[in-house]
Amino acid sequence: MTQSVETEAPVTVTGTPVAGRDPRLRWALLAVGLVAALALPWFVYPPVAMDIVAMALFAIALDILLGFTGLLSFGHAAFWGSSAYVTGLVATHYGVPFPVAVVGGAVFAMILAVPLGYLSIRRSGIYFAMVTLAFAQMVYFVAYQWSDLTGGENGLQGVPRSFFGIDLVETESFYFYYAALPILLLGMWAAWRIVHSPFGRVLVSIRDNTQRARALGYEVEKYKVMAFVLSAGLTGLAGGVFAINHGFVALTELHWSTSGEVVLMTVLGGIGTLWGGILGAFLAVMLADYLASSGFSGIDLVTGTVFVLVVLLFRRGIWGTVRHQWLARRLRRSSSRRSPADADPAKR
Amino acid sequence: MTSRRMRTGASAMTAVLLLGACGGGGPGGSGGDFSGDKLVLAVLNDQSGVYKDASGPNSVKAVKMAVADFQKKYGDQAVVDKIDVTSTDHQNKPDIANTKASELYERQGADVILDVPTSSAALAVANQAKNHKKLFLDVSAATTALTGAQCNKYTFQWAYNTYMLANGTGTTVTENGGKNWTIIYPDYEFGQNMTKSFSDAITRAGGTVQSTIPTPFPNENFATFLTKAGSTNPDVIGTMQAGGDLINLVKQFNESGLKEKGVELAVGLMLITDIHSLGVDQFAGTMFTDAWYWNMDAEARAWADRFKAETGTRPTFEHAGNYSAALQYLEAVQAAGTDDADAVVGKLEGKKVNDAFLRNGEIRAKDHSVVHDAYLARVKKPAEVKEEWDYEEIVTTIPAAKAFPPAEASGCSM
Amino acid sequence: MNAVLQYAVQGLAAGSFYALAALGLAVIFGVLGVVNFAHGAFYMLGAVAAAVLLDTLDLSLWWSLLVVPVLMFGFGVAVERLLVQWLLRLDPLYNFLLTFGLTLVLVELVKQRYGVSGLPYELPGPLQGRFDLAGVVLPRYQLFVLLFSLAICVLVWLVMTRSRVGMIVRASTEKPDLARALGINVGRWVTPVFGFGVALAGLAGVLAAPFRAITAEMGNNFAIILFAVVVIGGLGSIVGAVVAGFLVGLVEAFGQAYAPTFAQIFIFVLMALIILVRPAGLFGRKEATA
Repeated sequence: MTQSVETEAPVTVTGTPVAGRDPRLRWALLAVGLVAALALPWFVYPPVAMDIVAMALFAIALDILLGFTGLLSFGHAAFWGSSAYVTGLVATHYGVPFPVAVVGGAVFAMILAVPLGYLSIRRSGIYFAMVTLAFAQMVYFVAYQWSDLTGGENGLQGVPRSFFGIDLVETESFYFYYAALPILLLGMWAAWRIVHSPFGRVLVSIRDNTQRARALGYEVEKYKVMAFVLSAGLTGLAGGVFAINHGFVALTELHWSTSGEVVLMTVLGGIGTLWGGILGAFLAVMLADYLASSGFSGIDLVTGTVFVLVVLLFRRGIWGTVRHQWLARRLRRSSSRRSPADADPAKR
Repeated sequence: MTSRRMRTGASAMTAVLLLGACGGGGPGGSGGDFSGDKLVLAVLNDQSGVYKDASGPNSVKAVKMAVADFQKKYGDQAVVDKIDVTSTDHQNKPDIANTKASELYERQGADVILDVPTSSAALAVANQAKNHKKLFLDVSAATTALTGAQCNKYTFQWAYNTYMLANGTGTTVTENGGKNWTIIYPDYEFGQNMTKSFSDAITRAGGTVQSTIPTPFPNENFATFLTKAGSTNPDVIGTMQAGGDLINLVKQFNESGLKEKGVELAVGLMLITDIHSLGVDQFAGTMFTDAWYWNMDAEARAWADRFKAETGTRPTFEHAGNYSAALQYLEAVQAAGTDDADAVVGKLEGKKVNDAFLRNGEIRAKDHSVVHDAYLARVKKPAEVKEEWDYEEIVTTIPAAKAFPPAEASGCSM
Repeated sequence: MNAVLQYAVQGLAAGSFYALAALGLAVIFGVLGVVNFAHGAFYMLGAVAAAVLLDTLDLSLWWSLLVVPVLMFGFGVAVERLLVQWLLRLDPLYNFLLTFGLTLVLVELVKQRYGVSGLPYELPGPLQGRFDLAGVVLPRYQLFVLLFSLAICVLVWLVMTRSRVGMIVRASTEKPDLARALGINVGRWVTPVFGFGVALAGLAGVLAAPFRAITAEMGNNFAIILFAVVVIGGLGSIVGAVVAGFLVGLVEAFGQAYAPTFAQIFIFVLMALIILVRPAGLFGRKEATA
């Protein structure tokens, strides 16, 4: 493999997370984030706000694989979409409160991720991206043709939004936002826990040097599959909420373009930053929303160009760039000496 | 519910947890008979994806033509002075269509949403119409679910549906001597429904369907399917593919030699833009059902000329359908004297209509299907084409009563 | 029996497109280590270019088969110089993402310029009509496609095995470490090889123009199947790409004949099986790390 010739540049820097250095900053960021999440539907049309948070969790879940395990999944729409369908089916047929249906969807996504993950991680690097893409396409075809279950291209319509008979939540998307938000925040918290657990450390060591991790006695494959399944589960949570938010599920959710969209969000936000996904999702969803009524028809032109520019010029993404600048400034301030620690990884 | 609409940002930060206090507002513009003292017609369609040519931006222009005609007709007598036409691109993504529809109704004051291609998007918008009790006149989506299992009081299907396409072609071609059929169809909801409707129509007309061949989607290579179809020695091969796959199939059908053997090709869903893009010679002789053709009579032609002056191109039936839907909506508003959706629905239901698009049209009250004459068309040979976009020869007019399914069979209950 | 033969030939003809395009993908990957997501878009551009040349300059298929690959070569060189080269020393994922973004842009540009309904294309006279060989009826054009792409594949293979340039490229494709250790300057060949791979995708596009829909979206699904093809064949292998291309064509044709709705799913099932049994692909070598 050619990539083994070049010393592999890690997909990202981990550095020490900002929060790790300064607990006050960590709390401040957390508070800002929470307030922003709570205030969002005041400023943004509530269903769109819900999409943003759901997409944010989606991007964060993807980053567990991309940023912290070094695996680019280009088929995450399979988990997002299949969870959306299962959530929709459970909600429709059993009339359970929506959080229950969402959990059902997420569990299904995890179950689906076991065989797909097991097969996909047999190839690493760029192969992994292609294989996941191909498998996701397979799931898409199955859903397309299984129209008795999925409604085919008509979609699964009329998914109810049942919530313990609380009428406001069930009918008003504004209140629904606050009812569903905890599920997604819980998902984000779980992602953070995963990444900062000993398990997450092993993932990072696999990403940085697979052989060494193996030599240290870790069962690399098992860890990769576990990361894949966990990521799929969190993706499933997000996809389930998305389905309930819209009240229907369409095949688009399984389409490869959805996989591409979430990769864009993660990359735009910053690979390996976890929280960058939130910014990426916010920008991507707002852009699509804005372009829909702008009279400019050519959203892919914008998305594609952003993609190219980010990959060429801002590989750290937004969050990564900000963090890098901030760290650099702190370093300069704390010591006048040249710092070898944070050498620019992207400029090699 | 419109109470959310008035809520605005800045000072809200502290009120985050006061969920009960859902700001002022109340039903907007309670002063007159028109919410916001104006009428808002919102065209929601695909302006960047595969349906861009067939409907897209030019449908917005068609709706504007309807508004202009309405204002010219009524002048000072019009019950409303200000009529806005807005345009939204759903990017062929059903979830965007869904959110935008809800936002249009709730926040942009849209009184009616028009067009909405792609069945999943259209069904989602129909649901929003039902929840918001506002009108939705669908033109470009073909699924019968809109006027069947998932129908509702505020949703109308204006131009066509899969039954009309299949029934028209299946019946007429069989009656004209094409008795033995083989059907090639994409194995998804649309293809399955079309095949069923086709088979019913063919059997009713005294023909037989020897075999039905499902295909994957999307699919580039139809050689194998055509070989299989050819081996059944049919009079007619019916294909339910659409868009790019239809073009794939037709190109490969022409290569296969079946045409020379006298096998006819009947197409389930074909748009004039398909013929335009591929060229008449590829499609020559192909039969299909059309909801409207710009050169079918003097009235259609006159409107098509005006449309060409506006847009520089000839209209598809979807453009004309949008014009008609907007015009009849405005007429109903004029008759009702208000934009109140229930009142307007009352004026629309059961109305018999003729306009540039509809011939012997009736806005059926039972299932909100707008039934009208449909046309069996044959694609002209290159030598017969006299001007640009002159592609279709109307073989038969299928009367409204036969073109659409009977209301009782729709399965709609509102 | 005739039917089986018929399906086989049709499958091989369909496989020709995959084989040609996958060959381009494999060569690019070999020398640059880049998986070119935009390969489907380049295939589409080839077909669009042929249609536009026919429409504006009245260049027939014969000329397009010559001219379009040259144009696409130039385009490929430009893409490599302007975009791809800056990321060559980084993780190959970045170029995968870059070419994904490029795909979105190219598809959208074609949509804006040429609409969404597709472009017409006329087949030259001598290629119209059919052969009837002992009951196996085959459009002449399909046979032409099959023979033409076989010829190109053989030609490429000859160049790769007999010429110095080819040996260098092949060495760096299949044994990059060794090539470098021997002091071969692989870098010199990066740009032309990228252009060459793009030209092959464009050539496949030209061949597709007469009997497939020429639309901006035509390359999307094609690209995904192409990925399955190279995974099956083994990305590092030139022979593997070609063999897998034809193999996938056959699987598709027989799938369509005997279990139509699952034809595409079969391709992915085949891919899954290969990954299970021979993770490196039919002709690939084991990855250093796995």
